[in-house]
Amino acid sequence: MEWFEALALLIGSIMVLMAVGMPVALAFLAANILGAWVFMGGERGVVALLNNGWGSLSKFALVPIPLFLLMGEIFFHTGLGGRMFSAIDRLLGRLPGRLSYVTVLGGTGFSTLSGSSMGSTALLGSLMVPEMTRRGYKKHMSIGPILGTGGLAIIIPPSALAVLLATLAQIDVGALLIAGIIPGLILAAFYIGTIFLQTRLDPEAAPPYEVENQTIAEKIGLLLRDVIPMIGLMVVIVVMMINGIVTPSEAAAFGALGVLVLAIVYRCLSWAALKASIRGALRVTLMAYLIVFGSATFSQLLAFSGASRGLITWATGFELDPIYMLVVMFCVLLVLGMFMEQISMMLLTVPIFFPLALSLGFDPIWFGLIMLLALEISFTTPPFGLLLFVMKGVAPSDTTMREIYLSAIPFILCSLLVVVLLVLFPPIALWLPGLG
Amino acid sequence: QETITAVHAFPETLIYTQSFLSFVDKVNDAGEGVVQIEVRGGPEAIGMFQQPDAVRDGIVDMVYTPGSFYGGALPEKDALVASNLTAIETRQNGGIALIDEIHQEKMGLKYLGWFDSGVCYNLWTRDAPTFDADGNLEVEGLKLRGNAVYNAFFTNYLGAQVIDLPTGEVYAALQRGVVDATGWTQIGLIDLKWNEFLNYRIEPCFFSTDLGVIVNQDRWNELSDEAKTIIQDVAIQHEIDSVNALRAKRDADFAALEEQGMQVVELEGDAKAAYLSAAREKTWERMQELMAEHPMGTANYDRLIELFYDASAD
Amino acid sequence: MRALIRIYDSLLIFMALISAGTLVWLMISVVLSVLMRNMGIQPWAWLFTSAEYGILYMTMLGAPWLVRERGHVHIELVTAALKPALRRIVSRLVAAACVAVSLILAWYGLELFLTNIERNDYDVRAYFYPRWLLTITFPIAFSFMAIEFARFVFGSELMHSGEAGIHE
Ligand code: NA
Ligand code: NA
Repeated sequence: MEWFEALALLIGSIMVLMAVGMPVALAFLAANILGAWVFMGGERGVVALLNNGWGSLSKFALVPIPLFLLMGEIFFHTGLGGRMFSAIDRLLGRLPGRLSYVTVLGGTGFSTLSGSSMGSTALLGSLMVPEMTRRGYKKHMSIGPILGTGGLAIIIPPSALAVLLATLAQIDVGALLIAGIIPGLILAAFYIGTIFLQTRLDPEAAPPYEVENQTIAEKIGLLLRDVIPMIGLMVVIVVMMINGIVTPSEAAAFGALGVLVLAIVYRCLSWAALKASIRGALRVTLMAYLIVFGSATFSQLLAFSGASRGLITWATGFELDPIYMLVVMFCVLLVLGMFMEQISMMLLTVPIFFPLALSLGFDPIWFGLIMLLALEISFTTPPFGLLLFVMKGVAPSDTTMREIYLSAIPFILCSLLVVVLLVLFPPIALWLPGLG
Repeated sequence: QETITAVHAFPETLIYTQSFLSFVDKVNDAGEGVVQIEVRGGPEAIGMFQQPDAVRDGIVDMVYTPGSFYGGALPEKDALVASNLTAIETRQNGGIALIDEIHQEKMGLKYLGWFDSGVCYNLWTRDAPTFDADGNLEVEGLKLRGNAVYNAFFTNYLGAQVIDLPTGEVYAALQRGVVDATGWTQIGLIDLKWNEFLNYRIEPCFFSTDLGVIVNQDRWNELSDEAKTIIQDVAIQHEIDSVNALRAKRDADFAALEEQGMQVVELEGDAKAAYLSAAREKTWERMQELMAEHPMGTANYDRLIELFYDASAD
Repeated sequence: MRALIRIYDSLLIFMALISAGTLVWLMISVVLSVLMRNMGIQPWAWLFTSAEYGILYMTMLGAPWLVRERGHVHIELVTAALKPALRRIVSRLVAAACVAVSLILAWYGLELFLTNIERNDYDVRAYFYPRWLLTITFPIAFSFMAIEFARFVFGSELMHSGEAGIHE
């Protein structure tokens, strides 16, 4: 079978199954059964797919997500989150869309330091979306910024994906990590600009409600009682990570424990709240991990069948100017990113793209950063970005996939804009590492 | 012309994979018109730990993987792990033939060759290692990264506080001080960039890599005699070539590391002998225990040790 | 028959409770091992391993319950555009396809489980853990899922909510 036939078979079957409304995880599994049957020799292929499934689901790397979810759900169900946001609301006064800005700032800080896109989407999504919806924000004002900052986790150090990319490509890890700082901050600034524009274009997007003026003393009181302890918890976790007391994968457990302790201290931990929190965290985890079960094998079938390698070889086979070759490679990453998980994509593309990039005269660090941006975008590109499904799980139940897609688009455009800036002004990436 | 499919356990850019790919090139040159190996990819095509099952079940015909990835089914791989010989000597003395026989019997696999042998493991540390009055390494307070291959040695003998981490997380763990020491093969440290944090290499080295090519037995039997001969001959030649190539690579890596300030610390005399024999014997112990649980039992135990360990080579 | 249904229901709930307990265990095991490590004690290796295997048990044992809760996310593109009568048919057909997928996986899951026993396969991490203890979750979970999806084929409730057309 030619590579494009294999590609059409695999992607075609999953698109059709998802479009007719088969649950995403089941659609992956069905496409896998078909693909395994065709490419792996019938029945034994299906057995292999199951064999693969338990392998991809018994990894420590998956431990943080349910715990970040638990943390966010406890925050929400005990009312701790509500307290914090009421306080922030009153502290910031009348700024339209204030909680969206808070999301970007808090999300940038937290997701970059945790290094886990899924984890921080899970945490921020379960914490902020229900709370902001309750306060009259349109959903895209909470969903969009969270999806955006979730992706920032892999650009700004520390970032496990950046380390892996640098290792695979045999480039300087430190330089790639440092190269991400300025573009990451620019991206965060673009997010803020996007929210500003959104509140200007549609004043109804963020609630216009008035807040009573507060005296300085009241403000300090609010800050100390309702904001510092919660934010402090996040800070403590981050400090524990930086000092090597916990690995990033372990940090979430302390987050969940910390919120439990706070809830006890604030006397708002009830049996009902705890039950609702576990139930909520479990629902989203199960949904996301059954998709992980299916999509891990789907990525492998794309690779094993030769479909993705064929696409890459074909696309990079043209003789074009360097800048067009860059566009071609970027597009291949975006297309693959819709259907494959990030690590498989790196394993597949790095051995082909990096030598090509070098032969075209690109700086490898600069190119590595552009690849990271493509990977970041692929987390949130319809139809398959896993962050979108996590968001669907944590958002209020009447949230539709379309709303989530539409919320993501402005923030994806921001990332594309950063890529354009990087092409026009490479020093954005290369200036900082060059100092070292 | 016949085609056999293959996958490799590690990413394509890793030196061991490059070695396997050069073997594939050699087969494809020698086998033109007769037999060709078609590489389907690495862990992105079939999961690293699922590859042994995949070749056993005939989903792919050939796999390049450490024996340790299927140590549950074939504990005899520890003979290679604890070996102080290379594929060159063990091919000659019949050791590899015995390993092949065991693969066929236990897993329905043809063991084609032991590649990239002769590379051993060192302990690498951030801070200067300390020694007790008898010259033994002190592991008290060392935050040592471990994994299933070396824990029998690290925990049972050294009594170290082992932190299990996947390879991909070690860089960040070193950076943050979650661990400050790790075992690793003599080569590859630079590729993983761990040398940014590690400053001492402790000699002597212990263990050996156990990377080998396994082929589905039914598929192997279907091949023409001509194809079999080509593949087997090239494999035996590559066993020899890869030993030499990796020795050269090791020397180059060591030189590059020393230039960056990597210090070498050596255990001496009795302490050295005790260290080496512990690494070996704890591993043999594990092998014997696990072999006893299999239907084949421990009948091959003594022969394996005789063929893969030469006291005079230490 | 009614007794049988009651047993089935309590089994499904029991599995979901194990799943929930595992989630809490993830937190406890990580916190314990970090505390031990920072007190200079060697953390029990089974803390780490139980968390890794826990993810699998949690996902598989909880999956049937999630079907009942309609928590598996799906996209209502076609179903939203259809007239109610046709949508009901499509919805039941999709649910039937889910039953088929689950049954296939339950069947081959059983085969994998039996192979693991026959070959005496172990998963090698800190311990040698019999692999059938992991793969036994497949025939169980996918059989239960098949039954749960079948309720959307034959039962009064539909998998694709009536409000789908409004929302998607
Ligand atoms: Na980060
Ligand atoms: Na994607």
